[in-house]
Amino acid sequence: MNGLIESALDLIFLAFTSMVPLLLGATGEIITEKSGVVNIGIEGIFLLSALTSTIVDYFTGGNILASIAIGVLTGTLIGLLHGLISTYLRGDQIVAGVGVNVFAYGMAVIALVTIWGTFGNSPTVPKIPKIKVGEYVVSPIFILSILIAVGAWYFLYRTGLGLRLRSCGEDPRAAEAMGVKVLRVRLLATVLGASLAGLDGAYLAIDWVGQFTKEISAGRGFIALANVAFSNWNPLTASAGAFIFGFFDALAIHLSIVSLQPALAYLFKIIPYVGTLAVVSVFFKRTRIPSALGKPYIKE
Amino acid sequence: MSELAIEMKGIWKVYPDGTVALRGVDFTVRKGEIHGLLGENGAGKTTLMRILYGEIKPSKGTIRVFGKKVSFRGPWDAIREGIGMVYQHFSLVPSFTVLENLFLSLSTLEKVTMSEVRRRAEKIIETVGLKVPLDAKVEDLAVGVQQRVEILKTLMRNAKILILDEPTSVLTPVEVEELFKTLRKLKDLGITVVFISHKLKEIKRITDRVTVLRKGKVVGVAETKDVTEVDLARMMVGREVVFELKKREAKPGEVVLLVKDLWVKDDRGLDAVKGISFELRRGEILGIAGVQGNGQRELAEALAGLRPVVKGRVILEGEDITNLPPYLIYRKGLSYIPDSRSVGLILELNVISNSILTRLKSFLGRSGRILWGKAREFTSSVIKKFNVITESLTTPMKYLSGGNQQKVMVGREVIVRPKVIIASEPTHGLDVSATEYIRRLLINLRDEGVAILLISTDLDEILQLSDRIAVIYEGKIMAVGKPEEFTLEKLGLLMGGVKVD
Amino acid sequence: MIKSLIRGWRFSEYLTVAIEVSGSIAAGVGIAALMLYLLGFDPGRGMALLLGGGLTDPDYLLSRATFIMMTGLAFSIPLLAGLFNIGGEGQMYLGGLVSLLTAIYTGNLLLALLAGGIAGFALGLLIASLRVCRGVNEVITAIMLNWTLYYITIYLITNTFYDPLAPHESIKVPPQARFGIMMLGGFKLHVIFPIALILIGLSYYILYHTRLGFEIRASGLSPKAAKYAGLNPKKAMLYSMGLGGFFAGLGGAFNVLGFTYYIDTLLTTMFGMGFDGIGVALMGRNHPIGIVFSSIFFSMLILGGQSMQMELNAPKEVADALSGIIIIALALPQAYRMVISYIRTKRMIG
Repeated sequence: MNGLIESALDLIFLAFTSMVPLLLGATGEIITEKSGVVNIGIEGIFLLSALTSTIVDYFTGGNILASIAIGVLTGTLIGLLHGLISTYLRGDQIVAGVGVNVFAYGMAVIALVTIWGTFGNSPTVPKIPKIKVGEYVVSPIFILSILIAVGAWYFLYRTGLGLRLRSCGEDPRAAEAMGVKVLRVRLLATVLGASLAGLDGAYLAIDWVGQFTKEISAGRGFIALANVAFSNWNPLTASAGAFIFGFFDALAIHLSIVSLQPALAYLFKIIPYVGTLAVVSVFFKRTRIPSALGKPYIKE
Repeated sequence: MSELAIEMKGIWKVYPDGTVALRGVDFTVRKGEIHGLLGENGAGKTTLMRILYGEIKPSKGTIRVFGKKVSFRGPWDAIREGIGMVYQHFSLVPSFTVLENLFLSLSTLEKVTMSEVRRRAEKIIETVGLKVPLDAKVEDLAVGVQQRVEILKTLMRNAKILILDEPTSVLTPVEVEELFKTLRKLKDLGITVVFISHKLKEIKRITDRVTVLRKGKVVGVAETKDVTEVDLARMMVGREVVFELKKREAKPGEVVLLVKDLWVKDDRGLDAVKGISFELRRGEILGIAGVQGNGQRELAEALAGLRPVVKGRVILEGEDITNLPPYLIYRKGLSYIPDSRSVGLILELNVISNSILTRLKSFLGRSGRILWGKAREFTSSVIKKFNVITESLTTPMKYLSGGNQQKVMVGREVIVRPKVIIASEPTHGLDVSATEYIRRLLINLRDEGVAILLISTDLDEILQLSDRIAVIYEGKIMAVGKPEEFTLEKLGLLMGGVKVD
Repeated sequence: MIKSLIRGWRFSEYLTVAIEVSGSIAAGVGIAALMLYLLGFDPGRGMALLLGGGLTDPDYLLSRATFIMMTGLAFSIPLLAGLFNIGGEGQMYLGGLVSLLTAIYTGNLLLALLAGGIAGFALGLLIASLRVCRGVNEVITAIMLNWTLYYITIYLITNTFYDPLAPHESIKVPPQARFGIMMLGGFKLHVIFPIALILIGLSYYILYHTRLGFEIRASGLSPKAAKYAGLNPKKAMLYSMGLGGFFAGLGGAFNVLGFTYYIDTLLTTMFGMGFDGIGVALMGRNHPIGIVFSSIFFSMLILGGQSMQMELNAPKEVADALSGIIIIALALPQAYRMVISYIRTKRMIG
């Protein structure tokens, strides 16, 4: 009995770790999508900001704050690019996002090779100090991500500014008629969302894994996207969703450690993806997409 | 003179492509009155008001609001001067509540809190007697209530002048009464109202004075109590209608299309066609006259199989074609020419593809192969017969002029000699020669025995082409008869909803 | 056929396309050269190798192009109907896997090829039905399926279908179920390339000469008008995605049956080609003929990257980064159009 509870707690705390990227990324993307822009390039942002924060961490010998800052900044810059393309340049948001992802994959390996001369993993770097909870440890970023989610929820659904943002995603024409500068709001929302994704990437590299590898993201950006839709664009629900999806992730890791057949590890790895797909297929119909999502707003 | 709320003098509006929308219009509204702006589609009413609201700039002319000369760069300048506009299409975010929408519009002008917005809204609701549920979602509200939200919105921005563009076109009779009550209350509070409409009865009921526009010019200004509906109709519609097209006396044959008690809903789920019945004979043109938005489009789409028929029957040559799929209806000989080229054509595709768009099945070989050779031949004959000017058959449709696009859209239906043609606004947006061409074409078709249902908001067209006229108003046929049976005033009255015998 | 292609287009259309494509390439090349310089390599030599390295082995070049030609079709056909098929990767893996297994168990080449295609078709259909019936965004579905199939394939190859003599590789395709190599006037060429060209022709035929193709294109351009014409946009979406998956599956089958003759446990030969296909489709302006040329170009880049790595020790992923930049640049069609219309209006006024 004890062993079962122990395993369960193990899993839960493991899930706390793995849910952070899914929560931060989702919260950021919720803000972006509520304003009407879809940014599927957050996977690429994860990768690139993980990269940059690892670099800073390595070369400064452990300056955590600087590393995180650079990671966030990476997200901000990419968000600026994607935002400009999606708003003032009236470009295709999905294609731009795909481009970012492809570029990021390429950059990741280039960096690995040129900086550390390897194709696999970077050397390990100092991690963020953890908070102790009994026998287990919890990352401060975990707490931060919950706070951000609550803050985002409050901002979007309880403030006037959030209302104006949401109007851009529902009916940009009406919003513009009521004086909201839709393009500007969308750009800012994209930058904000991407910055959170940047924080996320930093977390992945210097908090969770402790090194940079080109597989550090492994589709988590897309699971975060699924979480966005699953949560019906609500950061609070997204926290729950992140836990569920993170749990799948944790389960996969746990099972591959615990099980007797190492080869089954690969099969366990599909759990997060299949789980996400199943959950999304069942719940998607009940959700309400921001009406103007993904369509460039063209002022007549 | 601060007695005048609005004084527009010598307003001209000429568009870059040469269209003249307004010719030297003078428009004055006294403070605190309800002033009606009357005219047909295209008379210039909306253009004039959009200029007043700052959305468009006049090509010439001056505007004074409460005595002050103004030059608006955009709606926000107009709002600051106290002008509020309520359009037919509302600027409300459907998924937000009323309160949220009000907050949204106010928050641009000043810093407010939600509770402040609520307080102000409730005050106005009380003073004016507007019944508006602040916490309901806009999309859940009836259209009449949504309109009240729009009015509330403008009042909260301290509007002293309220412009309503065809406000009753989206309302039920009961909602119309409510609106009028509200307007009278606003008048008591000293607010000036401009009421744009084509509905004579309502102009008569609610306005103090009325200005009539026709083809961009003011044809009359009067105290409402001094004019009758007949006078208004004559002003609105009367002109020398020259029957330029000589046509033979029609020799209608047997009934080819029978429509019985048809009921059709519009996109909002409201009844658009309310029990229409008529018959159409071979070799005649039946013109459906009416102002846009009275159910014509829904009627046409229902007959063509593009919109579900809720109740009633459509019978083509004795066969019941109600609710059959469009391609079957085409095959049975009923062609529909829609009023909009964005529905009837795919501009990115080339001329050949568009020519065969509606009867693709007849250009298919075995296993679904498209017989482009046959299609090409068909397109050539359409091009030749209807004098369509295009660089080549494979030119994308978007490069053809509007007139030529229309010719293809009309030509491809007509060339296969259908039994019935439903032509909706066939000359809309065309220049004089293209218009002439298509009208002559319709008459020739009629002479060859085709039955034509002509739907048009252009009275000239209806009068020139129709062998019989039916006037449609709010989904019902007001009257049917030969063109000679209708005087122009009578037509105007019927189109404005006044029943005459 | 070329003539009818060119005839319908006017000069300004050509100009736009030319500017878009060359602009994107220029941007990509420029940034890549900059990257090389910053990383300490000789940009001149690097770019020369990058762009020219692929030409040293035309057979390899064209064969490689074959796979991304198929995944290029996989992205462009659904796009015509308005859907984004990012699932080319997964469809390819599944196609490769199914064709491998079919070849092993039946020894029949044709059957194996078809099986691969049908597997991809089914996958594409699944993605489209989730979109049409349950409203699930096809990008999410596709990515989830991609990763799922990635791991499933690896698992099966590693555990069940490995070659006992070479455990990193699957059982080999039996010789009678292989696409061979032909001789073309002294040059050797894998048969899959000309077969792929035939398939390109087939897709062109379907898209522009059949009712289904017409329905797909019309529904993508104007669902309103399509319905008016009696067409069914929903059906068009389903079929277009199915077709896309079919071609991606064939791409995987070509890879396995016609080039590598096995699947390795890291899927190195197939990895990334689904995404390459997206860039190929965008550069080829969604037209089958364009896709042929752009797939050869992309293949050139990839091989060039490899030779650059061999000679200069520069990472070949520069080629990947380059394609990423090209894709981003191609996301800006409006921007180019704005530039062109700006120039045009300036000329009219000034």
